[in-house]
Amino acid sequence: MLDDLRYRTRALFRRKAVETELDEELRFHFDRQVEKYMRSGMTEEEAKRRARLAFGGHEQAKEDCREARGTAFIELTLQDTKYAFRQLRASPTFALVMILTLALSIGANSAIFSVINGVLLSRLPYPQPDHLVRIFLSSHEYPKFPLNPFDFLDFRARNHSFESIAAFTRGDVQLSGDGEPVRLNGFGITSGYFRVLGLQPELGREFDFQSEIPGNGLQVILSDRVWRTRFGAAPNIVGRKITMNMQPFTVIGVMPAGTQHPGNEYHAVAYGESVDVWWPFSFAGNSNQRGSHFIEGIGRLKDSVSVERARAEMNGIMAQLAREHPNNDAGWTVLVVPLYTELLGASRQMLLVLLGSVGIVLLIACANAANLLMVRASARRREIAVRLAMGAPRSRMVRQLLTESLLISLTGGALGLALAFGGVQALVSLLPADFPRAHDIHVSAPVLGFTLLISLITGILFGLAPALQASRTDPKEGLQKGGRTSTAGRNQSRLRNALVIAEVSLASVLLIGAGLMLRTFLNLIHLDPGFREDHVLTASLSLPHIQYKTNEQTAQFYDRLASSLIALPGVESAGAGSDLPWTGYDENAGGFIIEGKKPPPHQEFHARYHMATPGYFSAMGIPLLEGRFFTEADKKDAPMALIINHAMAERYWPHEDVIGKRISFDDAPKKDSDWMTVVGVVGDVKDQPNSPGAEPAFWWSEFQAAESDMSIAIRTQSDPRQVADGLMDAVHRLDPALAVADVKLMDSVVDSSVSTPRFTFVLVGLFAALAILLAAIGAYGVIAYTVSQRTPEFGLRVALGAQRTDLLRMVLAHSAKLAVPGTIIGVLLALSLGRVVRTLIYGVSPADPVIFSAVVLLVLTVALIASYVPARRASHSDPMTTLRAE
Amino acid sequence: MPEKIELPQGTLDLLILRTLLPGAQHGWAISERVQQVSSEVLSIQQGSLYPALHRLERRGWIKAKWGTSDNNRRAKYYELTRTGEKQLERETEAWRKLTVAVAQVLEGA
Repeated sequence: MLDDLRYRTRALFRRKAVETELDEELRFHFDRQVEKYMRSGMTEEEAKRRARLAFGGHEQAKEDCREARGTAFIELTLQDTKYAFRQLRASPTFALVMILTLALSIGANSAIFSVINGVLLSRLPYPQPDHLVRIFLSSHEYPKFPLNPFDFLDFRARNHSFESIAAFTRGDVQLSGDGEPVRLNGFGITSGYFRVLGLQPELGREFDFQSEIPGNGLQVILSDRVWRTRFGAAPNIVGRKITMNMQPFTVIGVMPAGTQHPGNEYHAVAYGESVDVWWPFSFAGNSNQRGSHFIEGIGRLKDSVSVERARAEMNGIMAQLAREHPNNDAGWTVLVVPLYTELLGASRQMLLVLLGSVGIVLLIACANAANLLMVRASARRREIAVRLAMGAPRSRMVRQLLTESLLISLTGGALGLALAFGGVQALVSLLPADFPRAHDIHVSAPVLGFTLLISLITGILFGLAPALQASRTDPKEGLQKGGRTSTAGRNQSRLRNALVIAEVSLASVLLIGAGLMLRTFLNLIHLDPGFREDHVLTASLSLPHIQYKTNEQTAQFYDRLASSLIALPGVESAGAGSDLPWTGYDENAGGFIIEGKKPPPHQEFHARYHMATPGYFSAMGIPLLEGRFFTEADKKDAPMALIINHAMAERYWPHEDVIGKRISFDDAPKKDSDWMTVVGVVGDVKDQPNSPGAEPAFWWSEFQAAESDMSIAIRTQSDPRQVADGLMDAVHRLDPALAVADVKLMDSVVDSSVSTPRFTFVLVGLFAALAILLAAIGAYGVIAYTVSQRTPEFGLRVALGAQRTDLLRMVLAHSAKLAVPGTIIGVLLALSLGRVVRTLIYGVSPADPVIFSAVVLLVLTVALIASYVPARRASHSDPMTTLRAE
Repeated sequence: MPEKIELPQGTLDLLILRTLLPGAQHGWAISERVQQVSSEVLSIQQGSLYPALHRLERRGWIKAKWGTSDNNRRAKYYELTRTGEKQLERETEAWRKLTVAVAQVLEGA
C-alpha cells in the first residue's frame, strides 16, 4: 500500500525523469532485439524493420506503461488542461466572452446564495431553535394580535406544552449620568425570557418572578455593548445603580455579546444585536380588565410537543378564558407560529424568487456557452477528424472537450467568486434597514462550496452536448470537407435553434418579472401616502416618569415645546404625535364602546389609538376632512376630544354625520366625562405603503392623554435639516437632561419603507438585463454562424437574380423563427408563474397586459437588432466570390 | 519454428515473477528467457511486457534498479521482492491446482 503510494507519487511528481527512464528502457530493448536479428544474419536495415514490427506501437506501449503506473488519470488531465489552455489562447475573444458571461452569472448566483445561506439556511442563534415559537392572538378582525398581560399569566400557569413561555414589549429608556443623556433601545421582559431563548447572562442573572411584581421594577440587564461603551466593562457592574429615566435601576446582569433579539415584524427593533437594555415587565392593573393587548409571547416547546398540539392546547385555554372573561376574551383564537417562520416568512418568498431569477440567468448562460462551443466545434471539425483518424478513441475526444468546458467554467467561477465578494457588500448595503439577519450575510465556506459546485455543473451542462456531438464527427467526412463549406448537421442546427428559443423564453420570463417589480415600485412611490413627507424633520422624546409625575407636567412640556418650535425661523407648523406614519405600529388597539351601538357577538370595537398635539396633523400634512383639529383648549378639564380617521368613520358610522358622536373606554360609562366626543375626521394613512387599506384609528388630545413618549414633527419652508439645532436648543431649554433621539427626515422614513420593493426590483431588473443580453448574444451567434455557412448559397441566389432585400428578409425570418416561439413560451411560463410573485407585487396583476406586451415588443426588437448585422452581411453576398470559391 | 500460443489471461505476471526467481534481469532478458525455456512456444509481446513490469513494480512485487548490462550499457534491472516471492509461491500453487483440475475435467469428460 505504502509502496504503491510512493511509486505513484514519484511517477506523478518526477514525471519527466520517469518518462526519460521509460524511453531509455524501451530503447535498450529495441537495440538488443536489433542486435539479435543482426547476429542471425540480417542487415541492419532489415533487423530494425523486424524489431519495430515485433515491438508494436511504441507510443501505445508507453501509454500502457503510464496506465500501469496508475497515474494515467491525472497525467491525462494535466495534458488535457494544457491542451485546453492552448486552445483558449488561440481564440481569446471566444474565451473572453465565455468566461465573462459565466463569471457574471456564477457571481450573481454566489452573491444571492450568500444572502440565502446567511438568512434562510443558517440556524437561528439559539439552542434548539426549532423548539421556539411566537404566540399571538387572532380574531375575525385582527389576524395577528399581541397578548393581554393577564391572559399571558393564565397561559403561563395553565399550559403543559411549553418548557417555558415569556413575553416582551418594546420600551426605550433614557440613560443619564456620565456624559450626554442617550436613548437606549429597551425591552420589558417577563421572567424566564432568556431561559426561553436558551441564553445565559454573562454576568449576574436574569429576572425572577419577584421582578414582575409592581414596584420591583427598578432592575436592569445590560447588553454587552452598553456594558463596554458606557461602563468601561466594569467587572463589578452587577449590583451597581445606574440612572435610567431619572430613576435608580440596579444592574442585575449583563448579556454576552451576540445576544440577538428574536425579531419583530412590527414596531421595529429589527432582528439583531440592537437591544441595549432589558427591564422587568410588571403586571400592574386590574386582572379582570383584559381589553388591552400589547405584549408579545414567545415560548419553547417541550421536546415531544408539536406546534399543532401546542396550538390546540392554547386554544383550549383561550376557550376557558372566554368563559371566565366573556367581555374581553371571547372571539379570540391563539396562533402558535414557529420563530423561523415569523422571522423569515415574509423575506423567504422574495429571496426564493431572486434565487430563481439568478438561476434562470445561469441557465441562459449555459445555453449560450453550449451554443458558442458548438459553433467552435464545427470550426474544429478538421482537427477533431485528424485526431480521430490517428486512432484517438472517441471517449478521449469527449474528455478533451469536457476539460475545455470545465476549464472555462471554473475560470468563470473563480472570477465570479471575486465578483460575489464585491456583490455581497453591495447587496447588504441595498437591503432594507430592518431586513432580518442582514448581518449574517457574507461569502462563507458554504458559498465557496456552492460556487465550485455550480461551476462544475455548469461546465458539464454546457460542455456535454457539444462534446458528444463533436466526437461523432466522421473522420472521413471531416477531413474531406475540411469544415469550411460543410453545413452543420441537421441535428446540430436543430439543437442550436432550440437552445436559442429556450434562452429567449427564459429571458422573457425574467423581463416580465422585472416589469412587475418596476410597476410595484412605481405604484408604491407614486402612491398617495395620506401625508406629505417633504420638508418634515422628525425626532423622538421620552419624558422620564420620575420627573414628569403628573399629566399636567407632561402636557405642559409638549405644549411649550410646540410653541417654541413654531417660533423658529422658517417653521410652518410643528407638533407631537405618539407615532409617525410608516414607522411600524405594534397593533395595540384599545377596545371601546360606542354610544348607541352594540358590537357583533364576541367582537369588540377596536381602532388604532394615538395621541397628538394641535400642530401634529398640519406638520405631517394629514388633511382635515370634517370638523376641526385639536386646539389649546382641548386640555385636562375640557370635554375629552377625539379625532378619528376616515376609515374609522366608515367602519363604525357609515352614512352618518360623525361629528359629535361619542365613544368610551369605560365598560359602563356613567357620567359625561367618561365619554370622548369626535371633533374631527382626518384622511387615512395606511400602516405601511403596501398595506391593503387603512385601519380605523383615532387620536386623543395629547393635552388630555399626556403620553410621555412622543415623536416630534416640524414642517419647514426650506431645508428641514436647518432646524435640527433649533430643535435641540428648544428641548434643552425646557429640560437640559433630555435625550433627543432618532432625528431624521420624513423623506428618509418614506424612502426606507419602499426599500424592499426597490431591492427586489433592482435585482430582478439587473438579472433580466443580463438575461436579455445573453439571449441576444446567443441569437446573434446562431444567426451569424448560419449566415456564414450559407454565404455561398446567398451568392448563388444573387447570381440567379435574387434581390438583396430578399436575402435580408430570409435572415430576419430565421431570427423571427427563434424569437417568436421563444417569446410565446416565455409568456406562457410567466403566466403560470404568476402565483409565485403574487405576494411581492402591489397594484399590478401578475398578468398585466401592458407589461406583457412591452416585453414581447422589447424581445422581438432585440432579436431583430441581434440579427440585423448578419442579415446585412448576407444581403451583401458577392456572387463572384462565391463562384470563385466553388 | 513451433506454433506460438497466446498467453492466457493473468499468466504473464506469473511468468515474469518466475523468470526473476534466479536473480535480477532486464526486460529484454526476461522475454528472451521465457521464449527460450518454453521452447519458443511462449513469446511475450513487448507491448505488454513493459506495462506488466510497471504494474508489478507498483504493487511492490518487484523492484527496479539501474545496472550495467553485459554489453556495457545502462539497463533497468528488475528483481523479486520478498512479497513478490510470496506472491510467486501463491500464484504457482494456484496455477498447479488449476491445471490439474482442468486436466481432470478434460480427461474425465
